Amino acid sequence: MEQRWANTSRLTINEKQFIEEALRSEIRVDGRRLYDYRRLTIKFGREDGSSEVQLGETHVMAFVTGQLVQPYRDRPNEGTLAIFTEFSPMADPSFEPGRPGEAAIELGRVIDRGLRESRAVDMESLCVVAGKSVWAIRVDLHIIDNGGNLIDAANIAALAALSTFRRPECSVGGDDSQEIIVHDPEARDPIPLTIHHFPIAVTFAFFHEGITLVIDPHYKEETVSGVRMTVTVNSNGDVCAIQKAGGEGILSGDVMRCLRIASLKASEMTTKIKEAVETYNAEVALKKVKRHPSLIAQKFTVPDVEMKEASFQKTKKLSADMENSPNQTSTSLTTTKDRDTNASIGRPLNWDPYSSSAPAIVSSSTLSELVGTSKEANEDQMMQTDEEYDPNLKEDQIASATGVSSGIHKQNSPPKSLKDAVKPKHKRKKNAERGAR
Amino acid sequence: MDVDTGNMTPTNLVDKVVVPGDVVLDLTKMENQTIKLGSGLCQDCDYISVMQAGKLRLSKPNKYWVESSQKRYVPSSEDTVLGIVVEHRSDNFLVDIKAPNLAFLPVLAFEGGTRRNIPKFETGTLIYARVVKANGIMNPELSCTYASGKAAEFGQLKNGYTFETSTGLARMLLSSPTCPVLEALGKKISFETAVGLNGRVWVNASSPDDVILVSNAIMRSEFLSGTQQRIMAEKLLERLEKS
Repeated sequence: MEQRWANTSRLTINEKQFIEEALRSEIRVDGRRLYDYRRLTIKFGREDGSSEVQLGETHVMAFVTGQLVQPYRDRPNEGTLAIFTEFSPMADPSFEPGRPGEAAIELGRVIDRGLRESRAVDMESLCVVAGKSVWAIRVDLHIIDNGGNLIDAANIAALAALSTFRRPECSVGGDDSQEIIVHDPEARDPIPLTIHHFPIAVTFAFFHEGITLVIDPHYKEETVSGVRMTVTVNSNGDVCAIQKAGGEGILSGDVMRCLRIASLKASEMTTKIKEAVETYNAEVALKKVKRHPSLIAQKFTVPDVEMKEASFQKTKKLSADMENSPNQTSTSLTTTKDRDTNASIGRPLNWDPYSSSAPAIVSSSTLSELVGTSKEANEDQMMQTDEEYDPNLKEDQIASATGVSSGIHKQNSPPKSLKDAVKPKHKRKKNAERGAR
Repeated sequence: MDVDTGNMTPTNLVDKVVVPGDVVLDLTKMENQTIKLGSGLCQDCDYISVMQAGKLRLSKPNKYWVESSQKRYVPSSEDTVLGIVVEHRSDNFLVDIKAPNLAFLPVLAFEGGTRRNIPKFETGTLIYARVVKANGIMNPELSCTYASGKAAEFGQLKNGYTFETSTGLARMLLSSPTCPVLEALGKKISFETAVGLNGRVWVNASSPDDVILVSNAIMRSEFLSGTQQRIMAEKLLERLEKS
């Protein structure tokens, strides 16, 4: 028993008095204002559906996995969602290994209610064969470091992980068309979950009998306050869940005040999570794009009629002028494409399913349109880009292309007319005609 | 035993970072000397080798030890520590000093302490005390007086704010000449601190703003060099003056 006494972390009377007194002047011990969150960092793991969130010193990880199971009898065409929490003993001296304690169960319930009752995750899209087989989504939350306000951090981690989770695509087929085939992620791209909205949990701690309240209490503030309320709202202003845990009572006016503050914080938090998820998705997509080795050398610049004989400096200049003069470059396409199909100098890949039909691509501006339309088609087309340039220059191209490649996704946004999107297709048809001849 | 005896001159590794397994002294090459070994060193036949990662220190003429920084405290006698009272037993207080065991503070170990004027410390009281006895096995023993019987600054600390640090930062704050961050802050703010070698610091000043500023400055100064500490302290003071 004494050993356990030696291991718990304690607060001195001095700290308790000081924290309360400082809050009378609306000062928090770490220098924050009353309604400020600590610094939030959202990171993602290598697998889909794993996230790591740091809110100040609090550190939480979430993992989402899916499994095909039989549905519940009363909901035959809905999938299931289950939240499991694990409070690791390394997070806090008072966490014991083994069965989850009260705090762990409360955390799991609050997050579960926020996601389930508000129907944030679409359950019906998880149904494969009604009554027989549905997807059971399981979210595992691991608390790595308890720096206070676990519920908010765990909620963000769960939302981030659910946003990046991909389940394998499955179809019904087989002999009796009752068999469920789960497709390999390499064969068919896995599908993300449908999340309608993000329920964000905002935790408040009350001091001085409800007069002062703070958002995102850290460990010491939590211990000193004793009264805590968590409000789960989404950016539309819908209240998804409210949890008030023990201690003194609070006035209904205070509850309304908390809801108003929470909805403001929720929209901020939603944008942060969405940004982090989008950055991650862009990186993942970029990694897929770079997989084809020939891609890097090819997707660079535009051929011009004179290009074949001219110097390579012109190539570089053209690429710089790309954005400014798409029309100029596309007119020159016709002539060079004739040569494209024949030219195969130094081309790493010789196979070519689209050789007769697809045009060599071209300007990175037109490329950006096609990136939006179909990634697969792009990759093949890119391999067609002509290799008339001196192999010596390849390195320069590679160097600048890799610089460009990261810009490609950003180039999706510059406004282009429909004309630019259509032109290459015309070239394709013309090439086919010529190839047929 | 195959040991690299390259660094055998005693002064080679002093004030340098050593890791477990490093051989510090070769006793066969030293004649007729008494060497005192502190923590982190151990005698291995004819060699003195390092058991704990840290910096090797020498106190002339012959005391060697390894200084390392952790969050847990290993009690050793004559250290001054800040403890939190956990319980009041009949003849001693149980005090938490961040050691593996709770420490005992005898009820009479105060200046002029008799059975009639036992201090009333409730759970959570912060005490500045001295470690009298400490070995790995028993609970360490504390006292609120010097061996002479004088209390000086020992005893309960009231008001102010406490926070925990690593033992390395605590040592840095206690070093002489004065630690740069404390010096820089002391030029503009008047505050008082008590630093326990067990990694606890108490700060008190006239206004809560000052206390918070000093506490956060100290917490952030662990891995900064002297100049960086001064710059950081000046920036924080500027911000305080503006608001």
